[in-house]
Amino acid sequence: MPEELKDKIEPKASRVMRTPRKLDIDITARCNLRCRYCYFFNNPAVEYRDLPTEEWLRFFDELGSLGVMDVTLAGGEPFIREDLPVLLEGIVRNRMRFSFLSNGALIGDEIAAFIARTGRCGYVQVSVDGSCAAVHDTCRGHGAFNGAVRGIRTLSRYRVNVAVRVTIHRHNIDDLENIAHFLLEELGLPGFGANSAGYLGTCRLNADDVLLNIEERKEAMATLLRLAEKYPDRISASAGPLTDGRMWRRMEEARAQEKPAFHNGGRLTACGCPGSKISVRADGAIVPCNILAHVELGRINHDSLAEIWQNSPALNQLRNRHTIPLTGFEFCAGCSYIPYCTGNCPGLAYTITGQVDHPSPDACLQRFLDEGGTIP
Amino acid sequence: MNQTDKPIANPIVVLRDEFDDWAVLFNPDTADAVGTNPVGVAVWKRMDGKKSLEDIVSEIKNSFEDTPDAAFKEIAAFVDRLAENGFVGLEVESK
Repeated sequence: MPEELKDKIEPKASRVMRTPRKLDIDITARCNLRCRYCYFFNNPAVEYRDLPTEEWLRFFDELGSLGVMDVTLAGGEPFIREDLPVLLEGIVRNRMRFSFLSNGALIGDEIAAFIARTGRCGYVQVSVDGSCAAVHDTCRGHGAFNGAVRGIRTLSRYRVNVAVRVTIHRHNIDDLENIAHFLLEELGLPGFGANSAGYLGTCRLNADDVLLNIEERKEAMATLLRLAEKYPDRISASAGPLTDGRMWRRMEEARAQEKPAFHNGGRLTACGCPGSKISVRADGAIVPCNILAHVELGRINHDSLAEIWQNSPALNQLRNRHTIPLTGFEFCAGCSYIPYCTGNCPGLAYTITGQVDHPSPDACLQRFLDEGGTIP
Repeated sequence: MNQTDKPIANPIVVLRDEFDDWAVLFNPDTADAVGTNPVGVAVWKRMDGKKSLEDIVSEIKNSFEDTPDAAFKEIAAFVDRLAENGFVGLEVESK
């Protein structure tokens, strides 16, 4: 087959770095909480079991040999692992840094001091979804708020960098002002991130009770945009109402003024994660992302991570999503925002439509407007 | 103890091959990272505490075609920048 024709038929992945820079690792399938919008549990494709310490240590040696820079430990609740200090020693020994996604409740003085001593912790992200227990515990369970705040205070005492994530849902949308005040003024944190519950995992079972409807999305966007002005550079988001509000304003302005297409607009260019990072499930399955946990690429300590990273057809297919034009989707037919749209999260596209190579309806501006939404 | 003029790479720093022959030097203790071209990679690999900067430049000139006359100055500046960020030290003279 002529090379030029072969390239058209079998598109190669975009230029890929030799090894991943970063890994997201679900270090455990256990959790002390059962949050009503947890993306992790209730995924039928996932086997919920933990690997022994030795398996992880062996894998960390492989990561060290590949020059991986950073691992984020999540789950489940990573602080539930009794062998956490040994695992962290394995990460440090292999010249990597680490971060955590946690609910905060299991973080005591001993582990906080240990983390501080390593000098390698980027941050511990603790979820706080309310300004008080009455709000936070609605979806996370009794005692969760006190545990989260206790965890944050413990980490702060040992000067471990704390990052707080607020997940917005139907039961805390009226508390956003108070949450910002509590986190930024009472706890004195430098900032926090905000996203919203997505149609993933356990949330799918509780969607009607948890997910924001159109009116609530409008309200969440308006409130977060206002709070972001009140607290400049202290509220961040990579998804959810604040990101939607900012992005949709830009898209509407561009459409109204007939501006040229955005860079990467008009194709399934989101997201860029498979270009620099990869994930591992608690049972050791290597997957492109913890939101695409059903796409098994191999197993740690059985398959070479470098080989998977460079040559996995499924991973390269994901990287090549950017070649797929939005104009080819019936879902996008007639949409005037196409030149400014990236199709958004493939994980949410999959859980909502059953297809990875599809724009995510969740982040579709046209659909939001058609259903009565307005851009603040 | 006196410092020699022989640079030595901080052993905690990771040399990460990225695209083509370009690389990133990453210090996990500080999270600092420096991108470098193939010449920088070759310099990095030679900073073993046994070779002086002049030795290293000489080896580089032999390994790369068309090395410009300003190579010594540029490599010295590169090593200085790495030293400022804790990526490189100078070997200590043993008596």
